[in-house]
Amino acid sequence: MGRIIAVHSYKGGTGKSLLTVNIAAAYANRGKKVCVLDLDFRAPSLQSIFRQESSEYWLNDYLNGACEINKVLIDYTPQCKCDGTMFVGLANPATEALRDMSAKDRKWEMRALGRLLSLKNTLLNDMELDYLLFDTSPGLQYSSINAIVSADVVLVVSTIDASDIAGTRRMTHELYDLFEKKTGILMNKVPIEFLSSDAEREGAYRRFESMHTLPVLMVIPCFCDVLRAGGSKIFVRDERGHPFARCVEEIAAKVEKF
Amino acid sequence: MGKVSEKSSAVLLEKIKESLDRLNEKMEVFIEIQKQGRKQDFVMQDLPEALDVMTLLSLPDHLRKTAVTICKLGHATAEEVAEQTKRARAVESGYLNQLVLMSYLKKERKGRKAYFFVEK
Repeated sequence: MGRIIAVHSYKGGTGKSLLTVNIAAAYANRGKKVCVLDLDFRAPSLQSIFRQESSEYWLNDYLNGACEINKVLIDYTPQCKCDGTMFVGLANPATEALRDMSAKDRKWEMRALGRLLSLKNTLLNDMELDYLLFDTSPGLQYSSINAIVSADVVLVVSTIDASDIAGTRRMTHELYDLFEKKTGILMNKVPIEFLSSDAEREGAYRRFESMHTLPVLMVIPCFCDVLRAGGSKIFVRDERGHPFARCVEEIAAKVEKF
Repeated sequence: MGKVSEKSSAVLLEKIKESLDRLNEKMEVFIEIQKQGRKQDFVMQDLPEALDVMTLLSLPDHLRKTAVTICKLGHATAEEVAEQTKRARAVESGYLNQLVLMSYLKKERKGRKAYFFVEK
């Protein structure tokens, strides 16, 4: 059976969405059947990365019970240029939709959790997906905790920012541990001088692991090219030889065995 | 004649078993009430509106595991929950009844089986 991976972070701007999309593309390159869902209803971004600004149905409609998940999914395989299959489910970026989603009550959130949990049956069992990836809102939002409860594995993206590290540690004890989730850390945007030699790199892994008390799956250097691309490039698809793409391929391989 | 008698004995035994199951279940609820205080105490509290993730986070670890499992299964017996959590059926039955008393779960009988679920 396939696996559900939630990509989460304490703070915004850690590179969560870009990593989610690239990890999904890495699996699709390996011939896997994958799907990425944008569960960041406060600041949807996958529509920009996938350049798909409109959709007949959004994930908002699925969680509202207005349609089934197959209506939301867009087959991205032709644009993906991969050996596998890739589907995308987008969150509605319209201001009205953002306002509507932020005004939901606890009963609605409870039903939304039920709808997310049922994706295991519809997408992993019936559609036989290998990987379902959730891009989530940062911090302790209803939508992100719903995603974490529904996931098999949580990848937490952190930067070297002290408040980010402290917040991630808190979430480890007060969120991931409580739901008994298999959790791994991805340190992103790490200054290159931290990783200038093998010894430096090993030291960085050890330091970050002792800070987070969780396995650090990858320490990703801060690449100017990634910043310059402004979130418009899927490196694993467009620049397979780029060191960022190689980092993502390595993450995908580690998560497979995680 | 012998076959009829055998059949009525089987029916009788089935009824006794059913009564014992119900009795056992009532005992489990009774034990939970004793452990947690009187049922009235729960009624006096602000009743939770929903078993949402924030509520799940506020539950003690042992109840959270049971509650998350019921959220995943939707509608399940204590035995089905126990299969998932790898804990004893009687333990899960106790926790499930406790969650019913706390108004987070509902319980319904279908024949001899008691099913627990989250009311949506």
